[in-house]
Amino acid sequence: MFQANTQIGDYLVDEHGRKIKLHFDHGTTTLGFKFQGGTILVADSRATSGQYIGSGNVRKIIPITPSLLGTMAGGAADCTYWERVLAKQCKIYQLRNRVHISVAAASKLLANMVYQYKGYGLSMGVMIAGYDKKGPGLYYVDNDGSRMPGNLFSIGSGSIYAYGVVDSGYRWDMTDEEAHDLGRRAVYHATHRDGASGGIVRVYHIKEDGWTIISEDDCTDLHWRYQDEKMASSSQ
Amino acid sequence: MSAEMLAMSEYGRDPRKHHFSPYADNGGTTIAIAGDDFVMVGSDTRLTNYSGILSRNQTKVFPLTEKTMIASTGCWADVLSLYKDLQAKLTLYSQEHHDEMSTPAIAQLVSTVLYWRRFFPYYVSNMVIGLDEDGSGVVYHYDPVGHMEKLRFSSAGASVAQIQPLLDNQLGALNMKDAVPPKVTKALAHQLMHDAFISAAERDVKTGDSCIIYTVTKDGVAEEQVKLRRD
Amino acid sequence: MNIEAPPLWSNGPKPGLFYDFPGRSVGQSLVNDHAKTHTMYPTTTGTSVIGIVFDGGVMIAADKLGSYGSLARFRNVERIFKATDEAVLAFGGDIADYQFIREVIEQKVRDDECGGYSKQLDAGALHSWLTRVLYNRRSRFNPLWLDCVVAGFRAGKPFLGFVDKIGTAYEATEVASGFGQYFAIPMLRSAREKKSDGIFTQAEARKVIEEAMKVLYYRDCRGFHRYMVATVTKEGVTIDDDLDLKKDTNWDLAHLTKLL
Repeated sequence: MFQANTQIGDYLVDEHGRKIKLHFDHGTTTLGFKFQGGTILVADSRATSGQYIGSGNVRKIIPITPSLLGTMAGGAADCTYWERVLAKQCKIYQLRNRVHISVAAASKLLANMVYQYKGYGLSMGVMIAGYDKKGPGLYYVDNDGSRMPGNLFSIGSGSIYAYGVVDSGYRWDMTDEEAHDLGRRAVYHATHRDGASGGIVRVYHIKEDGWTIISEDDCTDLHWRYQDEKMASSSQ
Repeated sequence: MSAEMLAMSEYGRDPRKHHFSPYADNGGTTIAIAGDDFVMVGSDTRLTNYSGILSRNQTKVFPLTEKTMIASTGCWADVLSLYKDLQAKLTLYSQEHHDEMSTPAIAQLVSTVLYWRRFFPYYVSNMVIGLDEDGSGVVYHYDPVGHMEKLRFSSAGASVAQIQPLLDNQLGALNMKDAVPPKVTKALAHQLMHDAFISAAERDVKTGDSCIIYTVTKDGVAEEQVKLRRD
Repeated sequence: MNIEAPPLWSNGPKPGLFYDFPGRSVGQSLVNDHAKTHTMYPTTTGTSVIGIVFDGGVMIAADKLGSYGSLARFRNVERIFKATDEAVLAFGGDIADYQFIREVIEQKVRDDECGGYSKQLDAGALHSWLTRVLYNRRSRFNPLWLDCVVAGFRAGKPFLGFVDKIGTAYEATEVASGFGQYFAIPMLRSAREKKSDGIFTQAEARKVIEEAMKVLYYRDCRGFHRYMVATVTKEGVTIDDDLDLKKDTNWDLAHLTKLL
């Protein structure tokens, strides 16, 4: 039987003690913040298994309901599986109660689910974002079972870079366009400096009437676009 | 005697020094390429254990339904068990619904079945390939615990790191200035797959002997075997 | 009726133990999670087993030594047995596990005979069954420490299959375990490749098996000169259990072999 304090890592050696490689997809930059115009979620699209880039086109922002989104950092399978279970629970809640589930309740469902597996080695650092009768909602949930509301989160190996950019440009009263641009720049800079992040920078915006995809840009294209901007402003 | 041979002796040393591992890496490589009305999937036929070759004629692609197949490599014991489990589930489904499960449904089922073993994973790299409800080819690629991605082409197993860049360049035209991805025909897919296996057999000890290529169309599955390096 | 009183305080701190957090089942404590540990190593062991397919049948061989570490402890151990007229099995690895699984299989065969509701188990069926048994045991971290060779017929055609202790299973025209993997397999394969059609007669198969057993006896320190050969054909199973290589081996070179 498998026990809570046994990690699969203990068994990943063959009978001669040589290591057997078992990598799951990992590594990320995700970003979410609230501002006057709603909630912005931004993520890169790279999945790494060890040194190998398993994929460059992952959707790390996952639809849960038409007004709820979840992000994905840590174990890719852990996040997709449990957010799929959450999507099912949210749908059942809506059918039973004839109202959409609140962001607080949805995030707590997820936190309670993963708390049951505390210590088993799940790896997730996710944001649950949406819009309910209390206005825009943004919660952080992780595999320890932590859950907290907030105005700004960034999760993943590239989060330190994203935080730096967002913190230097953030204002509550940004316009929608300014907010999209800030989020995009923040994750772009993370893809630039963090080897485990990269691919496509996807920007989502959640307002009262649900979420929309604002943009999906290859970070290489963004690099040259921002480079051109720099050249233009320095030559003035 | 080489270090390898000393290490491999199973019964030679102190009986108490044995270490049990439920996993083994039995190698193998698979490639899948989807077209508009077909999907092609191939595997090499070498089955290894450490440096020993257990079989030179073992396919790693298995049929699930008339228009869906699964390609699995990694720990062979897990491959067999996973396939048996899927077969049982698909049989139950078809008897209950009087219809075969669709490719996208099978794709999600495989993801869930893999995740159910999250705390004692199947050490297997999987691809599910088939025709979707519109009759066009699809490839789904998985990590060992069920993270799934829908693709037009992919490789998995021992030689991914050698083959995937080739496919990305030739079929995806990724990061090439002004390059346009080609139209994927059966001839192109077959040529590319064959070349990829030849290259992998040249450089990877766990890939070789021969490759079996299956072409799935609405008319059924065609099979072809091509010889590779046997060293 | 259960008259035992319930514990006064379950999940509470016990003297000398850590507090049991909610969610852990009662009685499971942090300090002793391994009340039951499984044996994860073999004690009395058998070495290689080998097998090949020939025209109209299958032949397998194994020596008769039961080693205890480096001690040649039991010198007349059977490691091959006939399950049915269409299946023989040979085992390497832990002798105790072999004797256990042999009894299970023999009982299974008897049950089928008495029940009379199923056809006689053939090699294909037993191979598939063994795969599941061994995989289940490895998944419970309580493996049967065995290398199994299953020989006989499946649906009327010669069958030769292999399963190891974690459930790795395959079919082939020649199989071997342990040192046989290194010494016997190349011999069997090259002998087959020398034949234009790749098909052995029964006599040729016997010859090449004997050669392979001889090399294993020369080079495997856990090998032995007394061995068994089982042959399965349409006519049934024959087991030669009193074969000896001693007269066929030549150790004259031994005094010339020096450690460099």
